[in-house]
Amino acid sequence: MLKLIKSATIAGTMALVAGAAFAQDYPSKPIEVIVGYSAGGGTDVMARTAAPFIEKYLGDGSSLVVKNMPGASGQIGVTEAATADADGYTLGTFNLPGMMARTIDREAAYDRDSFTYLANVVNDPNVIVTTKGGGLDSIDKLVEEAKANPGAVTVGMSSLGGDDHFMLIKLQELTGAEFTIVPFKGSAPARTALMGGHVAMGILNISEVAEFQEELNVLGVATEERSDFAPDLATFKEQGYDLINGSMRGFIAPAGLPEDVRAKLLDAFAQLETDEEFLAAMKATANPVEVVTGDDFKTLTSDLYDLAKSVWETTPWN
Amino acid sequence: MYSDLLSALPEVIGFSNFAAVIIGVIAGIVVGAMPGLSATMAISVLVPFTFGLEPLVALGLMAGIYNGAMYGGAIPAVLLRIPGTPAAVATTFDGYPMAQKGEGGFALQVAVVSSAIGGIASAFALMLLAPPLSKVTLLFGPSEVFWVAVFGLASIIFLLGGNPVKGLISACFGVFVSVIGADPIYGTDRFTFGQLEMLDGISIVILLVGLYALPPVIDLLETPLKTDGVESSKLGTEPIWKAMPRMKGFWKTWLRSSVIGIWIGILPGAGGSMAAFMSYNEARRSSKNPEKWGEGEPEGVAASETANNADTASALIPALTLGIPGTAVAAVMLGGLLVHGLQPGPMLFRENPDVVFGFMWQFLFGAILLILLGGSLATNSFARLLNLPRPLLGSVIIVLMLIGVYSIHGRMFDVYLMLGFGAVGWVMDKLKFPLPPVVLGLILGGFAEENLRLALRIGRGDWGVLFQNTTSLILVALTVAVIVGPIVKRRILDRRKQAES
Repeated sequence: MLKLIKSATIAGTMALVAGAAFAQDYPSKPIEVIVGYSAGGGTDVMARTAAPFIEKYLGDGSSLVVKNMPGASGQIGVTEAATADADGYTLGTFNLPGMMARTIDREAAYDRDSFTYLANVVNDPNVIVTTKGGGLDSIDKLVEEAKANPGAVTVGMSSLGGDDHFMLIKLQELTGAEFTIVPFKGSAPARTALMGGHVAMGILNISEVAEFQEELNVLGVATEERSDFAPDLATFKEQGYDLINGSMRGFIAPAGLPEDVRAKLLDAFAQLETDEEFLAAMKATANPVEVVTGDDFKTLTSDLYDLAKSVWETTPWN
Repeated sequence: MYSDLLSALPEVIGFSNFAAVIIGVIAGIVVGAMPGLSATMAISVLVPFTFGLEPLVALGLMAGIYNGAMYGGAIPAVLLRIPGTPAAVATTFDGYPMAQKGEGGFALQVAVVSSAIGGIASAFALMLLAPPLSKVTLLFGPSEVFWVAVFGLASIIFLLGGNPVKGLISACFGVFVSVIGADPIYGTDRFTFGQLEMLDGISIVILLVGLYALPPVIDLLETPLKTDGVESSKLGTEPIWKAMPRMKGFWKTWLRSSVIGIWIGILPGAGGSMAAFMSYNEARRSSKNPEKWGEGEPEGVAASETANNADTASALIPALTLGIPGTAVAAVMLGGLLVHGLQPGPMLFRENPDVVFGFMWQFLFGAILLILLGGSLATNSFARLLNLPRPLLGSVIIVLMLIGVYSIHGRMFDVYLMLGFGAVGWVMDKLKFPLPPVVLGLILGGFAEENLRLALRIGRGDWGVLFQNTTSLILVALTVAVIVGPIVKRRILDRRKQAES
């Protein structure tokens, strides 16, 4: 018994010392990265692709361990990450606009202030596609048709409250046209329905249509400049429509991370942007990269939250 | 279209992929031979463990187990009159009398050859029909898929058996379970009681493990099986090549039963046991001496065993092309595909042709391997499996189930859920509620709801959208036929009886 107390005391003292010497030592044990989706999905691939590079930049034999906690469209995992100890040993993946939309359309145990924002890494821009042979082969024609016959154009996309949905809302606000939403369970069935001509138009992401340009008309990409991912596809901006939207995936930690730990992590994530090897690996897995770190990432999240909130107040989707 | 089939071949013959099929077949025969353990159970216990495996290794195991188990069920059916799997019930009719006449060995040889022939025919059906169907399925939009699901729900009628009320209650329970989770359109919670874990709905694998694996395991521990040991006198084994000539006359039965099995497999809803019964009845009806059936007619064993293997690969035709499984086993296999990120549907054939077509080859090889593995050398030793201590077996399976279910999402919640379903399944089992309608209700109920609502959105609320094209109308006609057909048939039979009396 005495021995136990003794060793407990020693352990306690060591923990204190470790706490004081925290910044220099970080990371002194494996860092867990909680992914809110199953292994093999887009977010999981991003985390697993980025992990060795983050290890490289954190240096000194640091290690990142990816842990999948799938369920409830990522909400289980992100809640776990938001409520973990803010010591830098638990990070999480973060999806926009989904994670913010969940705080609006359902009860969530976190909000936009629950996180230390590290870096957004992937931005998969939205595209608008139409079926071949439907005649709606340009964005002008599409908008014209939707204005002439409000609600007659059916839009296949993945679930409500996701990036596809916000893209459509932006399009409707910009043009005043009206569409009928058909929300499939995910993008793959939506794309299949589009190829079979069961819906007239679809909102997808550029990585999902890159290999389907022969079967579908891709009307435009919702980015400022042409995407490296498919440089032959015109942006909406070029065609006179100010539409910017996409599905974003990045990394967060719980709020209240020690400042020096935060600085170290931010520095590591920032270096991803210029790492050729990393960029090549991401391109190979169909992940368009756009690195946004720290406060800029926080602002980005906040803006998306405000947009989602304002949409929810005028036209709630459930 | 078929060139992908050939290019997938080299991969399948690779060492690990081929070894998976061999292990699967052996494991399947063992599982099938154990009364109480079925293919559905073995595969659902296996699926969570296949996470880390290459897709083709995992699928090869499953294809092997499916084929092996469908034959394995014949071993105790013949030797002890205890069907090893539900699909082997019809095999007992003539198999057991043969064993009592000292022809048990021959009965098993007939069973293994017939099983292999059924399996081979089924694999060919899958190879020939699935690729062209996968192209056609682009034509299946939400309203057509809705009708396929309704047709499947209607054909549950075949599964109801002696007690339609209990069957319908089972089906309704399944449909209710399909409602749990987020609303497919709006994402609002339904019956989740605030549990985030329930938001994605009830995973079919968890339900299947609970419902199909736990009750038989409890049964293993509960009731000691009295086997008087398997004496070699019952077997009378001779080498299989010597037995082959005596089966020459069975080709008509093999052909007929293969067609019946394949067709039943494709139909959503019905499975192995129904295929075996139907083909047994048909074979008997067209036999020259039907009065001898039930007294040890080898052709009866052939009919039953051909058909229960002929529905294996064909059950995957609707599963791979439309995502709608034809049997409970196919449903678990779909779960296995999803584990590996393979989404069934037309895109599967385009994006992962090597896996899909490799899987088909594995079915074919699994069936051929049956003759080699189950045939000449091993039947004797498999028969002795029945002497294994059952409590030991039961405990091992329970441990595997718990680990497997936990590892799907890495959470205890799923384990509790599985145990809950296990309790429900055990009660249902005791009260003689059939289990297959639950599974089909769960799968097809979800499909029907989601697609109906998508179709109505596409039609902007107009129900006419459900009847707009020929495909939908054909499916409606089939559904009506499935429901009305048996009623009309009974009426006619009744009238004929009255006329005779």
